[in-house]
Amino acid sequence: MSTNYYEQTYILSPVLEEDQYSEIIEKYTNLIKENGGEIDEVDEWGIKSTEHEMDGKSSGYFVNTYFEAPGELIRTLERAQRIDDEVIRFLTLKYDAKMLRHRELQKKNAVPQIIDQQDEEDEDNDDE
Amino acid sequence: MIKNPSHPQKGHRKTRECKFTKAGIEYIDYKNAEMLLRFMNDQGKILPRRVTGTSAKHQRQLSTAIKRARFLGLVPFIAENLR
Repeated sequence: MSTNYYEQTYILSPVLEEDQYSEIIEKYTNLIKENGGEIDEVDEWGIKSTEHEMDGKSSGYFVNTYFEAPGELIRTLERAQRIDDEVIRFLTLKYDAKMLRHRELQKKNAVPQIIDQQDEEDEDNDDE
Repeated sequence: MIKNPSHPQKGHRKTRECKFTKAGIEYIDYKNAEMLLRFMNDQGKILPRRVTGTSAKHQRQLSTAIKRARFLGLVPFIAENLR
């Protein structure tokens, strides 16, 4: 069975207790494992305020996961999340070659940063 | 003549480099909200290529990244004070 590399970010309701979060995250990681997926990394960003309201809430508990899984899993996973009232948003991305190379760099902590060109911008303003 | 800084006059136009090409970035990550905000104006709009000098390839990626970040509430759709 062919597998793909996926990344999923989901937002949980901010009103839950600390142990409820780990429970929900465990539920989804188990769902991935049971369906032939393999977890690469689970990154909890914690409660962050969002820029706009979602389901009447202005913050959320962000969870970012990387996993390798067969394509059929995504439908099951997203269906479970759509039904779940605690999951406010989710975004699943399938990684292509370009993104995988980026991920490798990310793991090595070597993602190139944009050089701040603030000075150059000021120069432009002087020209005008 | 439109007095709009985003429409630079011919003589003032500068050949700009794409920041992503310069830095050697291959994939623009939607999670890096701080970086994305630098390519948006204070209303929360995506800045055009003629302002930022981004290459077409990276501008396409950038707009996808910004839209993903907006969906997750990492960057605003519209600025709060203007709503």
